[in-house]
Amino acid sequence: MKIDYSIEAPAIEGRLSLSQIEELIAKPLDSKPDKKFLLALSISGSALALGALCVLLTFYYGIGLWGNNQPVGWGFDIVNFVFWVGIGHAGTLISAILFLLRQKWRTGIARFAEAMTIFAVMTAGLFPALHTGRPWLDGYLLPYPNQHNLWVNFTSPLLWDVFAVSTYFTVSLVFWYVGLIPDFASLRDRTTSKIKKVIYSIFSLGWRHSHRNWQHYEKAYMLLAGFATPLVLSVHTIVSFDFAVSIMPGWHATIFPPYFVAGAIFSGFAMVVTVLIFVRKIFDLEHIITVNHLEKMNKVILATGMMVGYAYAMEFFIAWYSGNPIEQFVFINRAFGPYYWAYWIMVSCNVIFPQLFWIRKFRRNIPLMFVISIFVNIGMWFERFVITVTSLHRDFLPSSWGYYTPTLYDIGILIGSFGLFFTLVILFTKALPVVSISEIKAVADGAQPSHHGEGGH
Amino acid sequence: MSELKNQEENNLQNTNYWKSFEELYRDQKTITASHHEFQEGVTDDFDPDKNLTGISRRRFLALLGASAAFAGAGCSEYPDKGAIIPYNKKPEEVVLGKANYYASTCTGCSSACGILIKTREGRPIKVDGNPDHPVSQGKICSQGQASILNLYDPSRLKDPMVYKDGFWNKEPWGKIDQDILAILKSAQGKEISIITRNVTSPTFKKLLSEFSGKFGNTKVYSYEIFNNLSKESAWQKCYPGTSIPAINWEGAKVIVSFEGDFLGVEGNKIEQSRMFAANRDVNNPSGFNRLYVAESNMSLTGTNADHRIRIPLAGQSELLLAVVNELALDQTVGSKLNATLKNLASGYSLSNIAQKYKLNISVLKAMITDLVKNQGKSVVFGGRLLTESEHIVINGINDALGNNSLFIEPHVQQINPATLQELKELTDRMKQGSIHAAIVVDCNPVYEFPSDLKVMDALKKVDYVISLSEFSNETTSVSKIVLPISHTFESWGDHQTRHGHYSLQQPVIAPLYGTRQKEAIILNFLNEKPSAYTGEDYHKYLMENWRTNVYPLSNSIFGFEKYWLGVLHDGVLTLRIKSNASYSLSDSAFTGIQLRKESSGYALVLAESPHIKDGRFAHNGWLQELPHPVTKVTWDNYAAVSYDTAVKLGVKTNDLVKISGGGDSLEVPVLVQPGLADNHVIIELGYGRTNSHIVADGAGFNANIFLKSSGSTPFTLSEISVSKAGGKYSIVSTQDHHTYDEDLIKDIHEKRGIIREGTLSQFVADPDFLHHGKTHAHVNMYEDHEYDHVKWGMAIDLNKCIGCGDCTVACNVENNIPVVGKDQVERGRDMLWLRIDRYYSGPPEEPKVSFQPMLCQHCDQAPCENVCPVVATTHSPDGLNQMVYNRCVGTRYCSNNCPYKVRRFNYYNFRDHFAEGHYLADSLELLHNPEVTVRSRGVMEKCTFCIQRISDARAEAIEKGVALTGEEVKTACQEACVTNAIKFGSVNNTNSELYKYRNHKLGYHVLEELNTRPNVTYVAKLKNTFSEEA
Repeated sequence: MKIDYSIEAPAIEGRLSLSQIEELIAKPLDSKPDKKFLLALSISGSALALGALCVLLTFYYGIGLWGNNQPVGWGFDIVNFVFWVGIGHAGTLISAILFLLRQKWRTGIARFAEAMTIFAVMTAGLFPALHTGRPWLDGYLLPYPNQHNLWVNFTSPLLWDVFAVSTYFTVSLVFWYVGLIPDFASLRDRTTSKIKKVIYSIFSLGWRHSHRNWQHYEKAYMLLAGFATPLVLSVHTIVSFDFAVSIMPGWHATIFPPYFVAGAIFSGFAMVVTVLIFVRKIFDLEHIITVNHLEKMNKVILATGMMVGYAYAMEFFIAWYSGNPIEQFVFINRAFGPYYWAYWIMVSCNVIFPQLFWIRKFRRNIPLMFVISIFVNIGMWFERFVITVTSLHRDFLPSSWGYYTPTLYDIGILIGSFGLFFTLVILFTKALPVVSISEIKAVADGAQPSHHGEGGH
Repeated sequence: MSELKNQEENNLQNTNYWKSFEELYRDQKTITASHHEFQEGVTDDFDPDKNLTGISRRRFLALLGASAAFAGAGCSEYPDKGAIIPYNKKPEEVVLGKANYYASTCTGCSSACGILIKTREGRPIKVDGNPDHPVSQGKICSQGQASILNLYDPSRLKDPMVYKDGFWNKEPWGKIDQDILAILKSAQGKEISIITRNVTSPTFKKLLSEFSGKFGNTKVYSYEIFNNLSKESAWQKCYPGTSIPAINWEGAKVIVSFEGDFLGVEGNKIEQSRMFAANRDVNNPSGFNRLYVAESNMSLTGTNADHRIRIPLAGQSELLLAVVNELALDQTVGSKLNATLKNLASGYSLSNIAQKYKLNISVLKAMITDLVKNQGKSVVFGGRLLTESEHIVINGINDALGNNSLFIEPHVQQINPATLQELKELTDRMKQGSIHAAIVVDCNPVYEFPSDLKVMDALKKVDYVISLSEFSNETTSVSKIVLPISHTFESWGDHQTRHGHYSLQQPVIAPLYGTRQKEAIILNFLNEKPSAYTGEDYHKYLMENWRTNVYPLSNSIFGFEKYWLGVLHDGVLTLRIKSNASYSLSDSAFTGIQLRKESSGYALVLAESPHIKDGRFAHNGWLQELPHPVTKVTWDNYAAVSYDTAVKLGVKTNDLVKISGGGDSLEVPVLVQPGLADNHVIIELGYGRTNSHIVADGAGFNANIFLKSSGSTPFTLSEISVSKAGGKYSIVSTQDHHTYDEDLIKDIHEKRGIIREGTLSQFVADPDFLHHGKTHAHVNMYEDHEYDHVKWGMAIDLNKCIGCGDCTVACNVENNIPVVGKDQVERGRDMLWLRIDRYYSGPPEEPKVSFQPMLCQHCDQAPCENVCPVVATTHSPDGLNQMVYNRCVGTRYCSNNCPYKVRRFNYYNFRDHFAEGHYLADSLELLHNPEVTVRSRGVMEKCTFCIQRISDARAEAIEKGVALTGEEVKTACQEACVTNAIKFGSVNNTNSELYKYRNHKLGYHVLEELNTRPNVTYVAKLKNTFSEEA
């Protein structure tokens, strides 16, 4: 197939008029929830309820209900945390970094991806709070002045996590909200419901679509994008420090920060692809979230997947090259020890399957990309499992080696985390425009006059 | 003048003091008001309809007070908050916050070791050895230490019970005493049988004989599963009229043990271990002894051997005779060997035996060379699995080698143990209905008697079965009357197990429940009026016995009262009476020697559990959870088989096998145990209890069914059949047990330098051998912290550590460590702060076993400290790695980052979680060491180097105004270590023993290359293997 790479592909397809765009995007907000919506909500809600039940029981009896043990002090709790933080990387990357790089194709997916980021970080944020033995004392993790003169330990990566994740969450939320302001104004202008009008009015902060508004908005948005960009890189870097700063072989590796960031983007993009495939279909957004967009995301998945694959190989190489027998053992044990299955699930899902994206046809094949994106999600969850559990279960002293088996509560809480995430996602699709109305209008045909004539062609 | 005087007098008489003019001039209003205490309006009634300001101040305060009181009473529960209430009348000997120690005697086994019971504010909280005791010398085993848990056990029997019409009814002591007395008096010539364990008390013996005197046809049977019957009878044949003497193991340069687990379960473990390890002193390499062990099992003694000879049980006779034959070749020994024995042995040669059983001939030759070279300085020891004839041969060998010179004072047997024949006769008489009453005194015949005697059925035919027991058990459930007895710590007693040594046992707490000590119950039947019982009866009886029988022997210059208090204070009495026992071998002993029959099938060996013994400690959670010293299994017994046998049977660890022999069969899980002789199945007894205790019931399998009253010893069955039964059972251990058959992880502990060992000759030739190849010192990025004063450190001499685990129990008791239960051990959540790591190396057939006590290393650069987000684990100025429980939120990051994995996490409130909160009972709260926090759920914990003891010592030093040297503190594990393998003190004190060991040429740190700078130094183990030049 011949492609003319000198011409930029249109960001949206179908030559929609501006009012059509607005109509299309706002439609789910104006219509009553249908059966499909309620069905989806009940499934995710049940999963959430299951997770909540498991969490309540854990509060009551203690985290002995989980599979964690000596020597594996961290199990599903931290695996899930790292996994969800990873998922939360795509949104801000798409909205901030791609914005700064002037990637127009981001507009169709940015809002949704950002929302996913916020929900994923919310989900992730639960785990550090839940995983402690005495969650009612989690406040000790915050540096607050007290009469005991007790302070937190600034050398502990877990504390850095607290700051990194909460900062990331705050900035992402503000960034997301700022992007929503013009849309709130549009919604306010078109709604007929009095209640909605009040709510939209409040959140639109008196937006009048004036030039001045836009001027300030564009500046604020760009500044926030600039602010969020380093955070995208820093959050997972710091999460990786939880492992890298320790002395455990299999954890203690300088490659971890870039490796974790690449992995996070990888898994985040996969999750965005997974969800968007449904969203564009269900909400008739195929013109706005086009196959081109998905293909570009698949390219990112391919690239980051290979970075991750490189990291896997490099870990082995360095283990061998270091000459440290304990380090070497940990990696051989990873691939061929009792948890070999987890390792090979990880490698095949993260490195082998995404290779199909080299082929353009596959990149644009929706069922296939759905399957691969699911594989990547699974693979990336297992990556965290492999790192956390297999490094711990056989460390320095063979006398204290053990085996970690998750319990039903672990699995319940994992399911619950998906329940929470998807419940929030589903509610979001009905509560807010899943695509940025104003930004789409800005990249629609005819919105960007150029010397080449209408639509930049 | 006079008028003035008069007026003054008048004034004085009518003194009228006034405070105001109104008063002075007697204003009516004022006078009325002065008759009321309060002003008008002040005491008005409250009328809410009136202006509210009308409420008087008094009324307002009353209402306020009342409503506050109502609010307080109504809105808050007022449970007993367990307030600390000071003594109203303070007992003279109690100082709040200070422990008192009382000398007593442990009754856990027949060794009767001296103990010191530590009490705080009147409640016993810990048991240590009595340093004044001549035999145990300040040490006490796991069982003795853990027995304190039984004292507070909520499942103890609390009231006398009578079984009537299908129900158990509580009855008061007075009535039950009358009833029993009537039963005893109505015997009319029928036998009254008293069944008891070994009796070590001379006063109890006297009491039993008085009882027999009063009630006519009374017989006393003293029985324990793990007796020494074959050894005793062999001894009687060899040295008639004498009793087996104790051995001075310290004088032995060479020890050869045939199936004898003298470091584990046989004999006085405390004394034997101490004496054995005394000659494992790295500062005196020439004094090292050498241990040869020939065994089929993998015993604790075998794991400590310098040369272990793996030989099936059936080969022991041949091996012994081959040894005799080989020794006979030597002029000096040969001439002293008994001729009959020499003749008998003449057909056996070492090389044939070596070939037949695939033994290493050079080891056997070395053993002979050593024995010949060390005549009079060696011990040949036979275990209880040997037959009478084999013991006779061993006696002959020791005699010829002149080892009798190592015999010290003889043992004293208060009541001779019942032979299996006597037990058979007893049960036969029971079945005939000719036993009137069976009084079971603190033992458990239904569980313990050989199974072919069918004692359960027999007891049903006895008119009255009366059980005296601390807990319900298999026998109490078939008794008619059950009398609850007091714990040792609530009882008086005396003990004598050695010639010349007496010890006293005194109560340290009043009986917690309505129990009486067993001796007092029996004594009470001697009284015509049992209702006259007082708690002091047996105390007086004991004193009387001492006054008449022991006091005269002592030639004391004090009066009896003073003398008695002196002995009570010391806990022990050593009489300076030399035993005049002489040991001349009787020639006739060798005429009837019978060899073990050849056997080709599977052999079953019934061994004693090193922790719960014959089952008498099965209800003790600490002991059930204490990992087996060799297999590290907890909470279960199992069929241990060798690797090859497992392959042959087609089974793996956890697979069930069916074992049949002697008409009984049992399905039991397999544990593949390296080092066992092939075709042997080894099962430990003491498990599979029923009707006993929530902790004991359901743990393991009852293999007592294989105990038979016939055969050479009750502990072996030959020609049993073993087959795969199908199905699995999960045996849990605190340590992985597949670490020896995978290439990747084989011998990994040696490759990583965790275990570093050498041989004695290597060390003598090159004292620095351990540290060759060390290339550079580990550098530090930061400036090292200065420790100017005391800095705590520990050294563990692996030459002395025999791996028994007594230190672990001491640690559990001292530090309030909970029992977690089998399910949690399976999950990998045991809570032991101090564990003994066991490593195998070499081939699974002949493994080398290494032990390493592992506890918090209190690293100078502790990896746990910098990762805790809330600073809950910190470093103290005296070098301790501290854990702040109150601050800990439980992220477990510290544990993940600990390379030694010594941190333990409270995944649950384990006291609540284990056995439906069994150990959460109120009585157990008395057990806690008040100086150590009881940790809550969700908190990390670990070894503190017994910081409570350090604080105590520091407080004392401050009080005295002296500086701490580090010598004042002994950690609980150190105190308990029988072999003194653990040294503790300040690393800055150059005069200390610790300093010597810490800087010893054999000293090393585990995982040194991580530069964590641990403060626990391990002294590398030296095997004293035979070498020609030595």
